[in-house]
Amino acid sequence: MRKREFYISCTFVLIFLNVFSIKAEENHSEKAFNVKDVIFEHLTDSYSWELPFSHTHRLYLPVIVKDLNGKWHIFSSKHLDGGNTHKGFYIAQDGDNVHKIESVDEQGNKYRPLDFSITKNVLAILFAAIIILSVLLWDAHWYKKHPYKAPRRGVAMVEIVIDMLYYEIIKPILGEDARKFAPYILTLFFFILVANLLGQIVIFPGGVNLTGNISITLVLAFMTFIVINLFGTKEYWKEVFWPDVPLWLKFPIPIMPVIEVFGVITKPFALMIRLFANMLGGHIIALSLVSLIFLLGALGETVMGITTGVSVIFSLFMKLIDVMICFIQAFVFMMLTTVFISLARVKEHEHESKKEEQQSTEITE
Amino acid sequence: MELFKPEFGLIFWMFFVFVVMFVILAKYAWPVIIKNLDERAEFIDKGVEYSRDAKKELDNAAANAQLILAEAQKQQLETLQEASVLKNKIIEEAKHAAAIEAQKVIDAAAVSIEQSRREAEMQLRKQVSALSLEIVERLMRKDLSNNKAQIELIDKLLDEMEIKN
Repeated sequence: MRKREFYISCTFVLIFLNVFSIKAEENHSEKAFNVKDVIFEHLTDSYSWELPFSHTHRLYLPVIVKDLNGKWHIFSSKHLDGGNTHKGFYIAQDGDNVHKIESVDEQGNKYRPLDFSITKNVLAILFAAIIILSVLLWDAHWYKKHPYKAPRRGVAMVEIVIDMLYYEIIKPILGEDARKFAPYILTLFFFILVANLLGQIVIFPGGVNLTGNISITLVLAFMTFIVINLFGTKEYWKEVFWPDVPLWLKFPIPIMPVIEVFGVITKPFALMIRLFANMLGGHIIALSLVSLIFLLGALGETVMGITTGVSVIFSLFMKLIDVMICFIQAFVFMMLTTVFISLARVKEHEHESKKEEQQSTEITE
Repeated sequence: MELFKPEFGLIFWMFFVFVVMFVILAKYAWPVIIKNLDERAEFIDKGVEYSRDAKKELDNAAANAQLILAEAQKQQLETLQEASVLKNKIIEEAKHAAAIEAQKVIDAAAVSIEQSRREAEMQLRKQVSALSLEIVERLMRKDLSNNKAQIELIDKLLDEMEIKN
């Protein structure tokens, strides 16, 4: 075991030495360092993916666009590299659609075509899905093969998480509905967790700001919204539109129903913003700390050396916190989803029994 | 503001991939895993309960065994006592029987002795009477053998002699 670890670390050291020697040569030819551009390039989506340890080699991904005439175009994003125009499409350098594919119609107006390109984020979603599917299907296969056996290693690692989520969160909160909603909640959790963790890996298959992208969190929150309201009970809808408050609060002017409807929307909205902001913030901090080295590098080699040391220590610290945040955010998203679902699954007799309890306590008092 | 603008293409792909993933997992992974976890937990609970019961039973059995052992020892003691009593009795009986038998043998012997003594006596008497007759014959030179009264007299005399002896 120890021998293997030694070999692995040796390999890493060799790779890094090699890479840094190449980098040092490349640095001379690079243009001035722009912090904002670098950070934004990492945070936003793009049509190609930088391969590890190289600024020159990129993975060009397919562009799938539909122009105004309803014609589909599929081509490699290599044709758009360096601001080139291909079949009338180009990547906007400024304006509303900056860094996105734009085209020009017959009148000369810029417009955004329908864009179904396999971008960096789409590919990262696929990677995350493949990882989750392979891990969990392997798990299920293992369980089928070894019933009543305690798992070891990988399967056990996943089982600890599933066990904790299912028996500590989902089952106590949802009760008898647990089995019905567990697949959705667990899939949600694992997708967010894997996407978060992939984002923390700096090089190729990872390093994508996936859950820090508003589109992704929008979809996740929207699906939670659908699940909550699709499976809401009669009692839930009654509480939304005809809550248990004095009549003047809901009859001529529906104050409470408006607030309640607002609440229905804000719940998933808060989920969306929370995940998005947390993960985005983590990425920005990590990138800023690294950029600090290059910013202060202009002041001389001594300053650069000191900032490097400080930045590395801070980065390490932040990375560790980020890994924790990856889990916490996935956990929070999943837990709140569970809670919201349970709130939408209220049953009438529960309320009645509560009322009865209140009455009985009043009587005894 | 680029960061805050949802991208339609990305939303579509995300939705598509997530739904496909969810359907696959909900069909092939989660039910299997959760069912297995549930069943295993139940199995373990049952196993623990069973082993606890078994242990209790075992303890009971040990206590029972102790009781049975004590009982057996008691019985053994009793049996031994009974046996010894029986033994003594048998010995006594045997002794008794032997004594009786011995008495019988002695009695028989006595009877036979008496008989033989009597026979011998008779023999002797006959011989003595014969001898006496002979003696008397010689003495008196007279044959008295046919004289019954003479023989009776001699017999009487002999009886007297015997009583004297």
